[in-house]
Amino acid sequence: MAKPIDVAVETNHDPLEPPESYFVPATDVYETADELTLVAEMPGIKPDGLAVTVEDNVLVIRGRPGAKSEAGGEVLLQEFTAGEFYRAFQLPADYDTEKIEAGLRQGVLTLRLPKSERLKPRRIEVKVD
Amino acid sequence: MAMKAWVPAAGPLAELQREMNRVFDSVFGRHFKPVGRIRSGYVYPPTNVRETDDAYTLECEVPGLEMADLEVYVTGNQLTVSGSRKRTIPEEEVTLHRHERDTGRFSRAVTLPSPVDSGGTEATLADGILAIRIPKTEEAKPKRVEVRVGD
Repeated sequence: MAKPIDVAVETNHDPLEPPESYFVPATDVYETADELTLVAEMPGIKPDGLAVTVEDNVLVIRGRPGAKSEAGGEVLLQEFTAGEFYRAFQLPADYDTEKIEAGLRQGVLTLRLPKSERLKPRRIEVKVD
Repeated sequence: MAMKAWVPAAGPLAELQREMNRVFDSVFGRHFKPVGRIRSGYVYPPTNVRETDDAYTLECEVPGLEMADLEVYVTGNQLTVSGSRKRTIPEEEVTLHRHERDTGRFSRAVTLPSPVDSGGTEATLADGILAIRIPKTEEAKPKRVEVRVGD
């Protein structure tokens, strides 16, 4: 294995009690030289229903839908329902959690976690005698 | 009313499915955690349809898409939602840890059970949910029939 798999592994450790039932948002997690990015699909969630926390290097994302608007009429087809989103990720120790940037657009949460200087790849100059 | 190629939402089959879900959830609910949004098969986008006396309302889950990525057509009493989910992950210099969001073109057509007034269709996009309202034609709206008492 070229890459350790302990980066952003899901974890059972829950600093916040998970809801009784919830949806697990489909999430992309990728890493560049400078930062780790998480992109999570949480359709129907508004910014005031969103909570992102980091505790003991566990990142928890959670989204609560707003109050249901009473849609009238007869249901002909129901393929999704509004509900809470929840997911927890174990982070490596060296992310600067003070500098996490979070954005929510069209039901997609994007989190950018800058790496601390220690985590960034460094080029080692090789001197030839 | 039953519709072609739709998952039955009403009737005995749907009742059976709901009952199965209840049993399943009561046994496995606390231990079985599905990854991703619960979907009916691989149909995209997941869609809810409601019918009132004067219109059909549809909701489609399309997280991450903008209105410019979406096309909504009404042909006869068939509604088509199509578009493209773009890849947001950089192509180079990147290590992927999770890749769960789908990408690519999609198209979904639903046939409504009665004629609709396509010119009156309204579509709005908010928080990753596309909401479409299509009024029925006058002929398709229910009419109250006065019943006269015979002599």
